[in-house]
Amino acid sequence: MNENSTHTELLIQYLDGELQGEDLDNVKKIIEENASAREELENLRLAKEASKSYGMKTRIGSLHAEMMQELKTPQTGLTRKIFQYSLRIAAVIIVLFGLSEVYQYITATPEKLFSENYRAFDLHQTRGSSTTSLEDLYEKGDMANLIQEYNQLKSPQAEDCFLAGDAYLHTHRPAEAIEAYTRLEQINKTNNTHFFEEDVEYFLALGYLANNEPKKALPLFEKIHADPGHPYHTAVSAWFIIKVKKSVPRP
Amino acid sequence: MEFTDFSLIQALRSDANPDEAIRYLYRTQFRMTAAYIKQNSGTEEDAEDIFQEVVLVFIEILKKDKFRGESSISTFLYSLTRNIWLNELNKRGKSRLRDEKFEKGKGTTDMDVSHLIADREVKSQLMDIVDKLGETCKKILMAFYFENRAIKEILQNLNYENEQVVRNKKYKCLKQLEQMITGQPNLVKNLKSIL
Repeated sequence: MNENSTHTELLIQYLDGELQGEDLDNVKKIIEENASAREELENLRLAKEASKSYGMKTRIGSLHAEMMQELKTPQTGLTRKIFQYSLRIAAVIIVLFGLSEVYQYITATPEKLFSENYRAFDLHQTRGSSTTSLEDLYEKGDMANLIQEYNQLKSPQAEDCFLAGDAYLHTHRPAEAIEAYTRLEQINKTNNTHFFEEDVEYFLALGYLANNEPKKALPLFEKIHADPGHPYHTAVSAWFIIKVKKSVPRP
Repeated sequence: MEFTDFSLIQALRSDANPDEAIRYLYRTQFRMTAAYIKQNSGTEEDAEDIFQEVVLVFIEILKKDKFRGESSISTFLYSLTRNIWLNELNKRGKSRLRDEKFEKGKGTTDMDVSHLIADREVKSQLMDIVDKLGETCKKILMAFYFENRAIKEILQNLNYENEQVVRNKKYKCLKQLEQMITGQPNLVKNLKSIL
């Protein structure tokens, strides 16, 4: 080994922190006194730093490939296909729903709106401990006899009128249902009572629809829709109001 | 594995294995970079290349203690990405003003990091030189200087006769690399100012 190569070996050992004691002192002395040794040390330091940087670059490169695979997997694999498929199904459902609503709007008639929305009154909501004969008949679904008995009453009470009205609606006799409900309203007005007041608003409006009088039904439905506290508020949506309006014959 | 900004910086700055911290950077930051690049005339491939470089530059900045922690890592990486990508666009001859759509106002603070990435070209030339070393030399130098492996461990991995042979080989490789670098005086001059 010539002097330069000896220096190189010592300088590398110095750079790597491997020298101690007398050897370390000797190298420090060489570096101090010898300009070319100092320059060589700096250049070796560059080579060392370059090796470290290259190591980091290589490590990141290898992790990069791994991470790209990981990050792309959900986007290119089964998950993506399922996601795209679900989106398509959702889009189809939305389109079908939209078409169905458009169809309902186009084909909305008072009678159809009545059929889609009429549900028999739930008597359990109001029933007390004692029952009348009309209530029993209503409970049994015997609408024909209920109507017959109602017509024999000389002074029907509010509940009798209400049950009769529903029986008429049930048996597709809307004009008579309207008459029974109107009679109930008159009883309330005369006696300053409020029996079935909100129920009648809804069922009377349905009666008007069934009787092909949507123009009369509309203000009642609008009143119910405008009042969030009304017991039938949720049954009367804005879309339902639009369909009722559409069913009103144009002058 | 989850990291806070602080623990992430510690992990990336240390000489211990930074793999998990780098993976975390990819999982949490890559999509932001990709979105920026793709909104500014780049492709997915550009985004991948730029992010790889951003990670490398960020780690080197950390190791040199030049990250002062005045912003979150996310904001800092965004600024690095923006600077590196705009440089790349300029290199490709594209107008910076025409192509940059992702201006301020996106919830990130624009920082001047240009001085931190000014040495990219010089570092790139240096990496090209290291790349020309033989594979064995690269393995030994990286194992010793980057992975901090002992000569004994390197001996086991590379099947040399004894530790002295590995030591000699390492000496020759480092000297060879030093000569390859000093063969380009301008590069050496630039390197001494940045390393």
